[in-house]
Amino acid sequence: MDPANRTWQRLRKDKAGFMGLVIVLAFFLIALGVWSGILGQGWSEAGGGRWEAPGKAHWFGTNLLGQDIFQRAVYSVRTAFEIGFVVSVLSTLLGAILGALAGWYSNTWADSTILWIKGVLDSIPFYLFVAAVAFALQGKPWAMHLAMIATFWTTTGRLVRAEVMKIKSREFILSARTIGLPDLLILFRHVLPNTLHILFIQSSIAFVAAIKTEVILSFLGLGVQDGVSWGLMLAESTQEVLAGHFNNFLAASLMLFVLLMGFNLLSDALQEAFDPQQAAL
Amino acid sequence: MKHPVLSVRKLSVTRRQPDRASTVVDSVSFDLNQSEVLAVVGESGCGKTKTAEAVMGLLPCDTWDVQAESIELDGTNLAALSAAAMRKVRGRKISMIFQEPLTALDPVFTAGNQLCSVLCRHQGMTTKAARTSSMAMLERVGFAEPDHIMRSYPHQLSGGMRQRIMIAMAMACQPRVLIADEPTTALDVTTQAQVLRQLTRLGEEYGTSILLITHDLGVVAQYCDRAVVMRDGRTVEEAPVPKLFSEPQHEYTRQLLNATMGVRSA
Repeated sequence: MDPANRTWQRLRKDKAGFMGLVIVLAFFLIALGVWSGILGQGWSEAGGGRWEAPGKAHWFGTNLLGQDIFQRAVYSVRTAFEIGFVVSVLSTLLGAILGALAGWYSNTWADSTILWIKGVLDSIPFYLFVAAVAFALQGKPWAMHLAMIATFWTTTGRLVRAEVMKIKSREFILSARTIGLPDLLILFRHVLPNTLHILFIQSSIAFVAAIKTEVILSFLGLGVQDGVSWGLMLAESTQEVLAGHFNNFLAASLMLFVLLMGFNLLSDALQEAFDPQQAAL
Repeated sequence: MKHPVLSVRKLSVTRRQPDRASTVVDSVSFDLNQSEVLAVVGESGCGKTKTAEAVMGLLPCDTWDVQAESIELDGTNLAALSAAAMRKVRGRKISMIFQEPLTALDPVFTAGNQLCSVLCRHQGMTTKAARTSSMAMLERVGFAEPDHIMRSYPHQLSGGMRQRIMIAMAMACQPRVLIADEPTTALDVTTQAQVLRQLTRLGEEYGTSILLITHDLGVVAQYCDRAVVMRDGRTVEEAPVPKLFSEPQHEYTRQLLNATMGVRSA
């Protein structure tokens, strides 16, 4: 059986993992709906009175400004997915490339430069760094993405570097040399594909981390500038909770909780399904 | 006199170390003739593998210092070639297979994928032509169902099967010289005989000369024409195989032969 098929078979047998997959897919469908303009388009209209109770017109009620909480919560799915995708794909890619180069050219100036940059980034407290980037790029909606990509790649980079150093001494790399392949081709064609399990798992971890970080940053006012997100909703709800209105708070935290839970279940299951140690089973 | 296919003159390999340099191969010279199977025999650590890797140009120059008067392959001095020119020679004119077939194939690609990529790279074949040619090659190394093997991943194949795939890859471009570095040490005796027979037969068919590195004198007696005996990085004796067994010249060769005979008679 080929590896992709094997992974799928194992994932299907794992009940919790499969449930995670269903949850993530359901949220993804909602996000697609928002992207294509079907769902959550009325998120900014103040169509009701202040703090209306849940009902037919407003499923989850309205907030302080009379905006529909359901629409806002649904629209935030899109925000979450956009940030998750952009950050996880780009930070994993950056980590894979820099980690691979550092591992392949280990103990040379290239390796020490990459390790130095990684060390510097890791030594700055994360929220301080993000705040600095957000201030430097004031008003730019992608300041938060940039800050996350610039810091999230370091873990992937470190793991890939170690794995590449291990793989490059394996015999199939020597045999790739004996058939005359150039260095960089061997690195990207034969070494990096052997780290795919790390890349998959790291990108799923980065996805979850990016969504969580977005919520925190938006709550602090450093995050989403041109839209709505669960973090912004939670920030609004701080005033509402004091006045005894929990709808905004509950909607945002429940959606966030369910999506992150689903994602964690899925990535745990993927980790097990990818494990080559169980290849023989 | 016949002109040798591969002619190595005064090859020395030194390991660069911060405090001292240790010489692993010390001015070794030998000739490999057309369609010949030449054995390089010696105990572990005597420099057999390093000699082969130096000829292939595989030793990284930051840790190894390779010096040679000349390493001539068909009249081209490999020692003087640039890294890029050497890459064109490797795999096309000179190939190598290794001791450990279990790890010599990339685990994430199918055997067919890896075999095809050699042909596409060195012969400029299209993917389709490379597929047909790979299947033919797999049949030649004795696979009854090449189609099935093409789609298999390395972990699905046995050691003997993987080593035959390595042979197919190494011989795909009909190289002038094949260096086989203890190709059967990791295999059981039956598979060993099968693999070596296929290897020498393909060598004869393609006119490829084979440099067989081994420590098994039984293999030398059965499959090789001539033998070079190495010890501590130097060649101590070079002779046709029958002569080596009947009248060994050097004390060390006698010791080697006695060691094997001792086991046999016991």
